Amino acid sequence: MTENIATADASAKAPAAKFGGKGLNIGIVVAALVTVAGLALWVFQLSSGMVNTNMRNLDSWGLYITCFMFLVGLSAGGLIISSAPRVFGMEGFGGISKIAVWTSICCTVLAIGFVVVDLGQPLRLWELFAYSNLGSPLMWDIIVLATYLILSIVYLWATLRFEGGKGSATSLRAISAIALVCAILVHSVTAWIFGLQQGREMWHTALLGPWFVSSALVCGVALVLVVVIALRKAGYLQLDQKNIVKMVKLLGVFVCVDLYFFGCDLLTEAFPAGSGADIVAMLTTGPLALFFWIEVIGCAITAVIAFTPKLRTNPLIVVGALLAIVGIFCKRVQLLVGGFQIPNLDLPAVVSGPGLTDAGAALQSAGGAMVYFPSLLEFGVMLGVVGLGALMLLVGLKYLPLKPTEKSH
Amino acid sequence: MARYGMVIDTKRCVGCNACSVNCKMTNNLPDTNWWTRVLTEGGDEIDTPAGIFPDVSMRYITVSCQHCDNPACTKVCPVGATYKDPETGVVRQDYDKCIGCRMCMAACPYTGVRSFNWEEPAYSLDHAVGDADVPKHQKHVVEKCTFCYQRLARGEEPACMELCPARARHFGDLDDPESEVSQLIAKRSYEQLLASEGTKPSVYYLV
Repeated sequence: MTENIATADASAKAPAAKFGGKGLNIGIVVAALVTVAGLALWVFQLSSGMVNTNMRNLDSWGLYITCFMFLVGLSAGGLIISSAPRVFGMEGFGGISKIAVWTSICCTVLAIGFVVVDLGQPLRLWELFAYSNLGSPLMWDIIVLATYLILSIVYLWATLRFEGGKGSATSLRAISAIALVCAILVHSVTAWIFGLQQGREMWHTALLGPWFVSSALVCGVALVLVVVIALRKAGYLQLDQKNIVKMVKLLGVFVCVDLYFFGCDLLTEAFPAGSGADIVAMLTTGPLALFFWIEVIGCAITAVIAFTPKLRTNPLIVVGALLAIVGIFCKRVQLLVGGFQIPNLDLPAVVSGPGLTDAGAALQSAGGAMVYFPSLLEFGVMLGVVGLGALMLLVGLKYLPLKPTEKSH
Repeated sequence: MARYGMVIDTKRCVGCNACSVNCKMTNNLPDTNWWTRVLTEGGDEIDTPAGIFPDVSMRYITVSCQHCDNPACTKVCPVGATYKDPETGVVRQDYDKCIGCRMCMAACPYTGVRSFNWEEPAYSLDHAVGDADVPKHQKHVVEKCTFCYQRLARGEEPACMELCPARARHFGDLDDPESEVSQLIAKRSYEQLLASEGTKPSVYYLV
């Protein structure tokens, strides 16, 4: 008994020695294998046709773009939480900023990856630079996303330099300010890809920009919490519980803001009792009800955990954070599928090409058929892209000096 | 400078699909694709009326690309593969440039106008049909009605104009007040599809 306590103490004092080793190497190998499998599936998708996905002419985006939205959010949230305290000269969260930035770099790469696997002609990507139509929100997103990725890397590099005693605090603060603005911008621009389209009633709202930023903060902070608690458990870093509590409270605030925005949007759609009422019905009782209620209830539970001191135990914090991440993913599904669910010209006619798949009927029991549900191939390619992210994250943890130091923020 | 447009008389259209078929022939469309389609406004099924006999009502609306004056699709294309031709006002599509991101399909409010070739285009016949100068259809790019751009270039009218047994379709320059189309919309009452979207479509429906 006493021996056990002694070893526990020892491991808490010298956590670095415990982390890594065999487990980490196995993780890296598994992630690499999943990535390679995903690549093979992507090649199959390109050679035998995207007809193997369940995207069709009337639901022309699917799981890939859902994941793209979701991951841009995860990455923006991570960077905001690491840079904001430094910019405003506040106390940080106990030196986790480098890990937060690294997770956000991984997520940005994944977001770009999801756009690439969604393209019909990825070999023509160079045209984006040769024939850029600067009026297209998609082009804005490509520019901002690329800038954001480079800035995040510069920010991480500057942080490491500063902690190594080189570089000035002022320049680091300047870089973090630019990175912060860029993080907010990157998510607003992603929102505009959808929000500027007058043809899809569900997307066409000025609220979408700020709402995407609040959703980004929710899932970004939740991801950092999960990663940090897991890394502390694995002995990679030490972190005072007060920093965790601080982040959980922040998560609670962000979740409430996000739910508030949702409430505003639902009210504005429903109140005139026009076509917007169909969208509210689709979300609350229709085909997307499952995703709607998981988000609303999940986020509400997260808020309760965050604001009730007694409930702020580590396992519950992780549960709350995971609920928030799942909730925001459900939000993304609602947005993407919801945009295609209600056609503008809903009259019987022959449809050009495959209009829809009947895969949406898979969730029919939960309130009507969705116009879209991913195929196995799409899940496979998604896993492959996620595998690439896991690979980057683990390799970064193994080789990059991301552990908190005395000068860390 | 012209702005070509179409005026379709819904009081004349009998929903025979001759326009759809001639379009498909002329542009050598892959098996799955229809650039011009006939929508039934009435019952829940194609060719069914609303109401109970004898109080029934039904009309047909033929829908292809609306060649909007303020197109939602061209604005969002990141590489300019879909663009408005300044000479004719036709919204064109460059298959060689299209990266297959399908942003235009999300932006276009007119359901079912744009189609993406989800696989290698397949044809029932083992030889091409229609105009020899239509661009070759490609896998994984977006396509749609071009107002038969190849025919406009030769001074001809789009293929859907031919064969219409009810003579319901009219084609011409909307910028020319003397043209048949301009005269028709000056004299008759008309509707435009989803006018509230602000896309200013170049297709008018006489009612």
